[in-house]
Amino acid sequence: MRKPKASAAYRIAFTYSAAFTLAILLLGVAIYIAADAQFRRQQDAALVDEASALAHEYNEGDLPEIRHAIARREGSNTINAYGYALFDRTGHRVGGGLNTRKPPVGLQDIMFVDPVEGADHARAYATDLTRGLRLVVARDSESLEGIDQTIVLIFGGAFVLVIGLSVFGALLLGGYLQRRLDGISGVARAIMAGDMAQRVPLSDRRDEFDAVGSALNTMLDRIGQLMDNLRQVSSDVAHDLRTPLLRLRNQLEQVGQVPGAAERAIEQGDAVLALFAALLRIAEVEGGALARSFVATDLTLVVTEIAESYAPAFADSGRTLGWSIAPGITVLGDRELIAQALINLLDNALLHTPPGTPVAVSLEADAHVATVSVADAGPGVPPGDHARILQRFARGEASRTTPGNGLGLSLVAAVTAAHGGTIAVDDNRPGLRVTLRIPRVDVA
Amino acid sequence: MHILLAEDDTETARFIAQGLTALGHQVTHVATGPLALQAASDATFDAVILDRMLPGLDGLEVLRRLRAVPNRVPVLVLTALGGIADRVDGLDAGADDYLVKPFAFVELAARLNALARRVPGPEQTTRIEIGEIALDLLRREVTRCGKPVHLQPREFALLEQLMRQAGRVVTRTMFLENVWGFHFDPQTNIVESHLSRLRTKLREGFSDDPIETIRGSGYRIRTDA
Repeated sequence: MRKPKASAAYRIAFTYSAAFTLAILLLGVAIYIAADAQFRRQQDAALVDEASALAHEYNEGDLPEIRHAIARREGSNTINAYGYALFDRTGHRVGGGLNTRKPPVGLQDIMFVDPVEGADHARAYATDLTRGLRLVVARDSESLEGIDQTIVLIFGGAFVLVIGLSVFGALLLGGYLQRRLDGISGVARAIMAGDMAQRVPLSDRRDEFDAVGSALNTMLDRIGQLMDNLRQVSSDVAHDLRTPLLRLRNQLEQVGQVPGAAERAIEQGDAVLALFAALLRIAEVEGGALARSFVATDLTLVVTEIAESYAPAFADSGRTLGWSIAPGITVLGDRELIAQALINLLDNALLHTPPGTPVAVSLEADAHVATVSVADAGPGVPPGDHARILQRFARGEASRTTPGNGLGLSLVAAVTAAHGGTIAVDDNRPGLRVTLRIPRVDVA
Repeated sequence: MHILLAEDDTETARFIAQGLTALGHQVTHVATGPLALQAASDATFDAVILDRMLPGLDGLEVLRRLRAVPNRVPVLVLTALGGIADRVDGLDAGADDYLVKPFAFVELAARLNALARRVPGPEQTTRIEIGEIALDLLRREVTRCGKPVHLQPREFALLEQLMRQAGRVVTRTMFLENVWGFHFDPQTNIVESHLSRLRTKLREGFSDDPIETIRGSGYRIRTDA
């Protein structure tokens, strides 16, 4: 497992908890400020009310009466803990137990001497009465500070708790993410080490990790298939090259002993090179990059050209080539590739049928699809082999002894697929028919 | 002819140089791109054989720089890359011909001959006459000793190709490229079957064949016929 510092999973989890903690901290500060201000306002209002009530009483009586009223309030004043002081013009305290100096009029913070605790802070309200008297009502700040302290304590405790929970949660979340990702990277490492059979383990939750894992598994399956194909093709190539190379070797051995051996050896070498050229061409067509250079191609023209070009060769070999070609059919493609596909089909018809066999080329189309077919009335191919003969190096049993490398139809299939078309092989009763269906394009 | 050969593979270079020297050509060989560019700029050659993958400077880049000058020396690009896109790249870069390795030496020799004597600029000829045979390119008419010979379009194109290269060999692949536009070799020899019809028609009423088959190489029109 990676160190938490280097792990994105832990980084995300810790960042998240830090943000959460900061939010709690901000909330605490905001509540503290708001509550403190609210308490101060209420306290100030209470002080003003109390002073007004006393002033009202005094304004209806004289000094002894107000002293008495203060004394009464001080005596019973255990709950709201107000302190009182009454000053004359000279600043002497003439009533009330609050030991302080004469303050100016209005709301203010003052110092007073507490009989028990000594000098202390208080909030006070001073107001002038008649006859030069000044009344001060005060309240010890201790009660407010106590409330503030309580708020700080509650939030401090909550804060510590939140930090603890966040760190715990982050470790838990980070560990979980790490574990899921380690599952995926573990599989990747195992595959790098050569174990292609490994797959990402999936849970039943079908969450994002499972979606990624499932996509990776599908990709691995596909890669596996392609690798199997590649292995198959490479071993086919190696296998099918051995025979012509062996022949080449034998002919080279005969050079100088048997007349014409050198020429035959060169021919044999050319056959091997042709095999490579065919393989490379199939790979190029299957690679799909050619499709970018496809242009609107007059299929009618291409098929006509090929049919006319092949008619003499068919006639020379005692076979007949007939054709029926619909006019004005255009597809998106490469003229030379289409020509090569058709030529391979005609080469096959020439190679695998006895002389005298009629062969027919046809091009027709509906609104969307052009259909090209090459049909012979020769011996045909057993129906079971129809799909197989499209594969690389596949050769019908009957054609083992005829020349050819078993790649002709593979190229036809690859060209058809590159043009977005389909290829079908079926029984011409008698003979073989290969049909290519290629989507048409409209040319304005 | 004086030919510049730019090829980095020693074995291939020796094979080509020996063959060309045996044919009476003078060969200057260089093995890198920068040297090829310098040689082609310093001296006048009748033709350049340029390998596509040269050390120092890619063959196609050498070609592009030559053409940018502009230097119109005929260039035949040799390459191991036989893909359709590769050939298009080569011709786009300004190659006059493009030959994919491996190739038969006779093929290279025939193509070089065709290239080096090609008249620069577009062909303005409307009539070609070689010996007894006359070709009217506008009316698409052929006569031998003034007697009309009726040819199919492809037979006419084959004859035109032979007559443009009068006295020189035209190979099967040259016919396939120039008459059919195919850069691959069909298994069936369609060139042979069309040529045999052309020969039959040209020979009708005459005792000799004006077209020679050069064994293992190609075909040539006789200039004395």
